[in-house]
Formats: sequence, structure tokens, C-alpha cells
Amino acid sequence: MRETEKIPKLIQSPFPHVIVKNFLDEQTLDLVTYALAGLEYEFDDSDLFNYLSFGLTDVDHPVINILRDDLGDENWRGKIAKKFGVKQLSKIDMSAYVYGLGSFLLPHDDQVEGRIIAYSLHLTDVEISEDMGGALHLYEADNTGKSKLVKSIIPEYNSLIMFEVSDKSWHQVGEVLEDIQRLTVTGWYHA
Amino acid sequence: MPNINFYYLAQETISNLKMIFNSSDVPFVRLSKFLDLDSVGYNSELVEDEKIGYFKRKKGPAVLEDFWKSAEFIEFLQDATGLNPKFSAANHLSYSAGDYSLLHMEESEPKRLAVVYDFTKKWRLEWGGNDLYFSPEKEHLICNRDYGSLMIVKLEEGDLSCTRYVSLKSKYSAKMDFITYEL
Repeated sequence: MRETEKIPKLIQSPFPHVIVKNFLDEQTLDLVTYALAGLEYEFDDSDLFNYLSFGLTDVDHPVINILRDDLGDENWRGKIAKKFGVKQLSKIDMSAYVYGLGSFLLPHDDQVEGRIIAYSLHLTDVEISEDMGGALHLYEADNTGKSKLVKSIIPEYNSLIMFEVSDKSWHQVGEVLEDIQRLTVTGWYHA
Repeated sequence: MPNINFYYLAQETISNLKMIFNSSDVPFVRLSKFLDLDSVGYNSELVEDEKIGYFKRKKGPAVLEDFWKSAEFIEFLQDATGLNPKFSAANHLSYSAGDYSLLHMEESEPKRLAVVYDFTKKWRLEWGGNDLYFSPEKEHLICNRDYGSLMIVKLEEGDLSCTRYVSLKSKYSAKMDFITYEL
């Protein structure tokens, strides 16, 4: 179950985003992290990224189903749509990602038809510091494509980060520089 | 101007290169110690070259630009590939820690011959920075950094190439002359 029902005020720079702390209650959090630890992740490596992943959108598992509801039930989707000032959100998709030593996700804007709000629930049960890598970097870009790092969000256990997908939503996951496992459940709220 | 390693100018070698080049799914050949060149003075002035989501690197005039345009080298390309390349562009590219290019472009590139001469020294595989050539429905070509080697690859319209992300742990830069010839 959700621990938090309130979404804090949006931060507008460099593009609208918000961090919801203590998203899940302690019991759900334990069950979710235990369930995610038991998955057989696939290694994905391309020019854009390097990580382990597991698609959760269509998985029928009691705990994953609870998590899917907590992230995507009608009540919560309504609050997100209202907070971001977007039209009704119809559904979510979700996958689990593990970033180990050397993993990264290079800058991209997430723009694919139907994606309205991106989210990432951080489930790394160790305190991550900036020099360990793995931060979510938010950029602004000028009209020539030159980027400026505006904000680094260091993953915090049980925090949910959401941002509006647009041609301004440039972001990346910084290379993980130490032997940690940066675990997230990530996806999009769709139109 | 540098000289081509005499071994690559022997008639038998040229014949073999042409056979190897034309026998691959993506036509390519890679030649180590291609030039009799121990070191090069980097007079090339590099500037930041970034388009977020596409590439981030430094760029400048090719170190050996005159050589890549020379009749001697173009004749070698003709003999080694059986193609008729015409010089198009030459740049020196440098990828430092955190730099990258990705396998997509804003506009489709035409059929071309890509040539990469590697100036990278003291490289470690785990730092990434390898070159990738992509042709739809064909195997990727992966080319690791190797000082002094010359890569020649024929790319069809819509084929793509990139230099992969360089790890933040890299202590050096991946440096290369990247030359394209029209076909």
C-alpha cells in the first residue's frame, strides 16, 4: 500500500518534476524488494544503455500486482494528472532495472507516442552518495543541442521521481562507479 | 606525409584485402600498423561538439587531412576495395570520459566508405569507446581501439556508425581521424 497520498509541489526547472518520498509502506516495500530480488533479469547493452532489466507490465504476481496498483490505480493517476495539469492518464507500464558497476543510460528525452509522465521508484537499500554514480541527471539544452546539467537526483530508498515527458525532458542515469546494485521500478503513465 | 606500411602495398596483399573486404556481410577490412608513423604532433585545434541525444565529443580538422585526400591513399582504397571512392570529409574526433555518439542521425546518410585511423594510446577495453557499425538485419561490427590501425568499411544508405560511451574511469581519450568517401 502507499504510505503517501500527497504529491508535493512540482519543481519546474529544467522541466516539471517531483519527488515523492516514502512512497510505499514498510511492509509493501519489504515484499516488493524481496519479489524483485527473485527475478531473472536480462542483460541489455546498446549504444544508449547498459543495465539489467525485467518487464513487469504483464506479470501476474501477487506482490507485483499490488505494486502496479500502488503506482497506477485510478485514484493515484488522477492525482498525478491534476498535479502536472495533463489530461486523464489511462494506464502505466513498468519494468525493473538493475544498474551495476559500469551501467549507464545516456541522455534521451523519453518521447514516444502516448508517454505523458515518466516515473522511477527507487529501491536501492543502501545509501548512495554522489561519487558512487547512478544519479538521475536532468539537463536543459539550447537550440543547438548543447546541454547543461541542471540537477542531479541521487537515488533515495523508497522515493518516487516523476517528470513530464516533452522535447525538453533530457535526462540520463550517470554511470555507476562502485559495486552497488541500483534497483528501480520505472515506466510511464500513458494518455 | 606518412607512408603506407610497405607490406600493404604488395600486390598479393592488395589482392587478399580486396577478397576479404568483399566477402563480409558488411564489407570491411582492418589493417594494423597501417602507417610508418610513431607519433603525430596534434596541431589540430579541437572544439566541443555536442548535440544532446546524438553525440558529445571534441572535433577538429583531421590530423592527416592531406594524406586522406592524396591520390596515393585514394588509389590504395580503390585497389583494396574495388570501389571508386571520392573524398568527402575528414575530421579528428576525440572522446573523453563521459563522451559518446549514438546510432542515429537526423538525416539518412548516403552510401559511403568510412575510414577510421586510430590515434588512441594506452586504452583499456573496459573504458568502452569502441566503434560500432550498424546495418539493418546484419550483424553489428564492433571495432575496439587499437593505436595505428585503419578501419575501412562500406556503409549503405541508412547504415549507421558510432563511438560508444567512454567510461568516467577512463584516464585517456579515444582519438581518431574519421574520413568519409562518397561512392
